[in-house]
Amino acid sequence: MIPSLLLAGLLSADPSPATTPSQPKPQGAPSTAPAPDDDRARLEREIANELGGSATPQPAHPELAPSTAGSTASPTSQTGGNPLARLLMLPDISAIGDFALAFDSADTARLSPRGASDPSSPAHRLTPIFQELELGLQSVVDPYAQADVFLSFDTSGASVEEAYVTTLSLPAGLQVRAGTFHSPFGRLNQQHPHVWDFIDTPLAQARLLASDQLAGPGVDASWLLPVSWFAELHVAGQSTRPAFEETAHRTALARLSQFFDLSDATTLGVGLSAAALEEWGDLGGLDLFLKIRPPASRGYVALQGELFGERRLGQAWDQGRAGGYAQAVWRTSPFWETGVRYERAPAEPSTGMTGTEQRASLLAGWLPSEFQRLRLQLSYDRLPDGRDAFESILHAEFIIGAHGAHPF
Amino acid sequence: MTSHRTRLLPISAPRLALLALLTFAWPGGAHALQVVTTTPGLAALAKEVAGDHADVASLSRGVQDPHFVDANPTLAVKLRKADLLIDNGLDLEIGWLPPLVNQSRNPDIQPNGPRRLTAASFVKVRDIPTGPVDRSLGDLHAAGNPHFIADPHAAKAIAAGIAARLAQLDPANAASYAQRAADLDRRLDADLVRWDAAWKAARSRKIVAQHQTLSYLLAWSGLSAAAYLEPKPGIPPPPSHLAEVVQLVRAEGIKALVVENFYDPRSAQVVAQHTGAKVVLIPGDVGGEPGLDTYEKYIDRLVELVAGAVR
Repeated sequence: MIPSLLLAGLLSADPSPATTPSQPKPQGAPSTAPAPDDDRARLEREIANELGGSATPQPAHPELAPSTAGSTASPTSQTGGNPLARLLMLPDISAIGDFALAFDSADTARLSPRGASDPSSPAHRLTPIFQELELGLQSVVDPYAQADVFLSFDTSGASVEEAYVTTLSLPAGLQVRAGTFHSPFGRLNQQHPHVWDFIDTPLAQARLLASDQLAGPGVDASWLLPVSWFAELHVAGQSTRPAFEETAHRTALARLSQFFDLSDATTLGVGLSAAALEEWGDLGGLDLFLKIRPPASRGYVALQGELFGERRLGQAWDQGRAGGYAQAVWRTSPFWETGVRYERAPAEPSTGMTGTEQRASLLAGWLPSEFQRLRLQLSYDRLPDGRDAFESILHAEFIIGAHGAHPF
Repeated sequence: MTSHRTRLLPISAPRLALLALLTFAWPGGAHALQVVTTTPGLAALAKEVAGDHADVASLSRGVQDPHFVDANPTLAVKLRKADLLIDNGLDLEIGWLPPLVNQSRNPDIQPNGPRRLTAASFVKVRDIPTGPVDRSLGDLHAAGNPHFIADPHAAKAIAAGIAARLAQLDPANAASYAQRAADLDRRLDADLVRWDAAWKAARSRKIVAQHQTLSYLLAWSGLSAAAYLEPKPGIPPPPSHLAEVVQLVRAEGIKALVVENFYDPRSAQVVAQHTGAKVVLIPGDVGGEPGLDTYEKYIDRLVELVAGAVR
């Protein structure tokens, strides 16, 4: 009803006199009698006064609207498709649910701190986990900007994961995002977890960058460089909370992201990121992505790796910590995927251990449709002190509604 | 040392910056229009209409399933300087075009922008759902069936629309665009006499198709789809559904299982083995087979393959 009411308002606001002749005149009415429109306006004023409201006369001819709206909304074949699809001015609304069943052989929370929303279990206790429900609202604001809002609900409550406007009409290849958003740093950090191939955050990213993705309020200006390949330079100022920190730090970020078509089937992405956090330290990152997909195929192979480096305030360059991961994912068809990942990360000081933790993971995924997937991830974790740990996660995910296209 | 600083360049820094900006950002005066289309069929029509006045490129290729093109950022580079983006519309490119358009930073090619032309706006759209729609029906196109490029009547209307928009963008060559579109229209009319004659022999025959990509072709040819290999759009056929299709193909004596060559042909091959019907792999668009580099060649091949198989 709302669209037709809107239409009624629009049409009735039309001052065009063309419709007047079609108005039936009361039979036998003297020509000096007030026109029906005047009658109606007077009546409306009287009713408004009786109701105690202000007497704002409404434009005439509202009775024309329903039939016009009805004919516009005819469900028959029409040039340009279904007009209702565009009349519904709602933003794209989507909900994404993530649930897991985790079994760890060691006390992961104490021995190997993970990302804030990564599923893990107490030692030898099969544990069901409600990971997250993400609610997405996405729409253009006006011809000049788009807004993306992602609300996150989990066992700790509700939070705004991201909410930002993006300009669409700046000149010279420029674009500005403002709001609260994932920092333009690295590859996985900018993606929502439901876009990731593997179920959890790489250890090095959780420990060196941010336990729940480096993000926060700020402004991100980016420039698409006028070169023949894809080269995008980001400069951002944000307030972010680095890994396992409670306080936010003012942060300056820069990122250069480039993509090259190596052949019809092969694309290489190379990204360099840097961040300086006030009264905290510096972060650096390198990310590589290689996707091989024959054009006629729905299957592909994607190789991906990232290196993270961290240097706390006052430390020399060689005193910093570093880590990273490398993974390969093979999508054999639209419905099946398998993957393998290797990681190295520095021990988290809170564990009392020093040295490097290594982890290797296997992934198998089934995608019955584009809108859900079921994944199993098995990991072998070698703790910094040489102890072994085994982890398994069974993970289910669904998407309903209209969700914006995912990044490459 | 002299008191004058030596300039590295015979131009002041602000002017240099301005020059750089103009070089990179200015669309240029006398250069050919840069026309980008989402699919090769639309590119073929744009080339016919634009001739030498435009460089036309397609973001996807004829061998690709147009629903599942990657939103590869290198495609955004092609859109950055596009003077015109011609998209298919009806959500065919919903999974990959919007992020590319945003990444391109080209404000004029946003939906409803002055340099955006949506082909569906010239087409009598089929299969518009009249009742409630949700994904229990599969990955349905809620705005209507977007696979109209296989219908020459749609192509004629789109070509006329492209000519009108090119004339607006490049008034100096308006007459040429109108002339070329009229030439194409006449050629397609002549082709249609030939194509319709080929369909006449096949009229009212039934086929089995993979996906509802053939609605427009079927309506034009007079053929009909007795069944689809996909039980619902985008849903892979389970054996139970294929068994039903096999029974239907046997009962109705259907001769052809028509499948775009970007689909996995295994389901069709299984049905063929059990029935003796023939799997007909058709190109999905211009460029879907080697040598199909014009719209007329593409339709020629479609008619040859489909009409030939059902005769």
